[in-house]
Amino acid sequence: MSRLNRRWKLALPALGVLAIAVFAAASTSLAASAREVRVAIMTDCKGAFGFGYEPDIGGAQAAFAQFAGGKPKNPKKPSAGMTGIKVGNTSVRIVGYGCGDDTVPTAIKETRRLMEQLRADVMIGPLSGDEAVSVANYAKTHPTKTFVIGTAGSQDPTLQIAPKNVFRYHGDGAQWNAGTGEIAYKRLGWRNAAIIMDDYSFGWTSAAGLIADFCAIGGKITKRVFPPLNTTDYASYIQQLPPPDQVDGYFWVVGGTGTAASLKAFEQAFGALKPSQHIGNLFFAFLGADKVVAPKVVGSYVGGFGTGPGLKTKQAKAYEAVVAKHYPGLNGGNYADGFVYNYYNAAWAFVRGLQASGGQLGARLQASMPRTNKSGYEVSDGGLVRLDANRQAVQDQYPLQVVKNADGSIGTAVVGYVPNVNQSFGGLFKKTSPAPGRTQPPCVKKKLPWQGKIKVVKNGVITNQTIR
Amino acid sequence: MTGLAATKRWVERGVGLAALVLVALGPAVFNDYWADAILTQTFIVGIAAASLIFLSAYGGMISLAQTAMMGAAGFILGNMVTQSAPGGETKGLTLGWDPTLAIVLALLGTTLLGLVFGAIASRSTGIYFLMITLTYSVIGFYFVGQVTNVSGFSGISGINSYTPGFVGDMVNDRYRLYYIALGVAIVVYVLIRYVVRTPFGLALQGVRDEPVRMSSLGYAVPLHRTLAFGFAAFLASLSGVLLVWWQGQIAPGDIGLQATIDLLIVAVIGGLGRVEGAWLGALAFIVINNYIRDSWLTELLDDVRIGGSFNTIIGLVFLAIVIVSPDGLIGLWDRLWGLATGSRDPDRPAMAPSPAGQQS
Repeated sequence: MSRLNRRWKLALPALGVLAIAVFAAASTSLAASAREVRVAIMTDCKGAFGFGYEPDIGGAQAAFAQFAGGKPKNPKKPSAGMTGIKVGNTSVRIVGYGCGDDTVPTAIKETRRLMEQLRADVMIGPLSGDEAVSVANYAKTHPTKTFVIGTAGSQDPTLQIAPKNVFRYHGDGAQWNAGTGEIAYKRLGWRNAAIIMDDYSFGWTSAAGLIADFCAIGGKITKRVFPPLNTTDYASYIQQLPPPDQVDGYFWVVGGTGTAASLKAFEQAFGALKPSQHIGNLFFAFLGADKVVAPKVVGSYVGGFGTGPGLKTKQAKAYEAVVAKHYPGLNGGNYADGFVYNYYNAAWAFVRGLQASGGQLGARLQASMPRTNKSGYEVSDGGLVRLDANRQAVQDQYPLQVVKNADGSIGTAVVGYVPNVNQSFGGLFKKTSPAPGRTQPPCVKKKLPWQGKIKVVKNGVITNQTIR
Repeated sequence: MTGLAATKRWVERGVGLAALVLVALGPAVFNDYWADAILTQTFIVGIAAASLIFLSAYGGMISLAQTAMMGAAGFILGNMVTQSAPGGETKGLTLGWDPTLAIVLALLGTTLLGLVFGAIASRSTGIYFLMITLTYSVIGFYFVGQVTNVSGFSGISGINSYTPGFVGDMVNDRYRLYYIALGVAIVVYVLIRYVVRTPFGLALQGVRDEPVRMSSLGYAVPLHRTLAFGFAAFLASLSGVLLVWWQGQIAPGDIGLQATIDLLIVAVIGGLGRVEGAWLGALAFIVINNYIRDSWLTELLDDVRIGGSFNTIIGLVFLAIVIVSPDGLIGLWDRLWGLATGSRDPDRPAMAPSPAGQQS
């Protein structure tokens, strides 16, 4: 090798280091620009929920476009950015998008990058359960920053941890399943059921909702099985489940790529799936499951995502029209997905909070964050979501059913309306109770606030009939 | 040649001292983010990488278990100090023990674990050693992930709220951790330099180069490897304690396969041949990790639809460094010096990396 050649090769890493220095300098100069409210949107771009990246950002930015004059740089690609956001006299700048992968270490690194390196004042996000637990712990030690959870459903961030600077304008995973247990008990006649749940914060919280709701009305959970998140071969976990002749049905809380894989393993072990014997949480119908999973379980009941797909109310239609206006075709046109809807409401609530605080941040903003919000799929209390004392939403829920549409496609239909679902499930979950886990909550009979009050929903219209 | 080598050593010492002064002035020179997020992390990751480089450079063992060792200390500490009071922590054993006792137990427990793991792996060499240590890493990941009593995949949070009195408040005074991490990093560096000059360290280098000959001379080869592994586990445990103070939490993802590979990349970028490379590699890796994300280059690659562009850039930088200088950034310096002075690889350390038992 000639010396010249060697020198050229040596220059490569030197150039790399130089480039890094330039990036560093560039971001420092950006950080030094005039004072404005700096917002970060934290979501996932990798891992099981990586596909939520654009829908989440699009949802949040649709609210900025509608209520704060933001202009999308590219209506087909929300992550291209947004300019011109202004709340009153205060300019709002989106300083960065967090790229999580549903793990805690990445979540905390991304949070620090957004809040410390890019010096965001407010975070909208994160996306998933474990991430929200770590962000809530981060929030505890950073009281001047404000966090509005995007669409994460773990219980701990707003119940056991509950820092004063964390807000959540949607339900947690347990709330999203309210009413589903009662439907299993009354409509399907289940008395004994087994449950299989992802072994992490969201899986436990989501399962907690199904268990609490089903047991409250008198059902029994005979077996709980916990495969780790991102398991690929579910055979050994399916073997732990009682066979179909020993239980009335199964609750499924297995997400990401695991939903289809776990159902397949069930078919291999116990034969074809009988829809009336299976109830899923939102993983049966959302997050891409509509293509692969839903066709296998047409007729099965499904928990919700805090949204009411196909609900024919003025408020719901108005919400969908707003998203369609700013980001047409976002999330394949499925604006009733919690990824879009919950981020939208989070950003909207922040805009209202900033308006009320007159552009002030920290404690002033936190005190000014709205305690109610007219979210799209809300019906109770004149269509208002309310925050409880822990800054957690009390929200209407909509149990779903997987259906075959007239055109042969598979979709979901809202079958019930569960009014005003709170996080505590009638006192079962409280600040002093352990966070949901493998054995929490226990199976107990209990009077829930919404028990016996779930209204039947037909063709997107709430009827006066209760579920029987 | 000797003169040149001596000059090079003096230049290195000068650069090292200047770097030390710069980081000692830390908060006065760097902004908060740089001091707290970049440099503190560099010191901590550097310590873990130094434990890997120690095993590689002086013991001829490339270990993939160092992140697991680091995590062991973090998880032990996390389980022992956190408390389950309202508003407290929700995962792990939440024993609420005295933080000083917990630190001692975390360091001792991890060292003991290292000795046991080292003893099991001590008779393996080359790729087999690599595979056994990879197994430790995977066992560690699944143990803490699936035994939800000690962690679960959500990990343990809020650990940095419980520190001994002599350490002080880590949460509100971040520069405290900066200087503690810097101090520990210096101690680790000095300790490694000291240990490799002791009779044990010299014998270890003998074991690295000629295990058969050392064995026939009467040295207990597996014992030396075991002790080296235990010592490296102790070093890694120091970084584990600092890591949980810095992050405030620890989760299985911190010791997963990706984290294991990242640490290996840090060591390789820095240079597997010399301990200094650990912190150099850590700095390069962390800076790239932090700044490439929001760069125009990433956006450009995104726009032309190259998926995972950020990881692609890290991969390309890694590839460039490894091709140009297999001995990492430290090796690059050696080569640049050789090029500038016309000497070919002067003062190349005798401890070029080679997996245990593989003789060149």
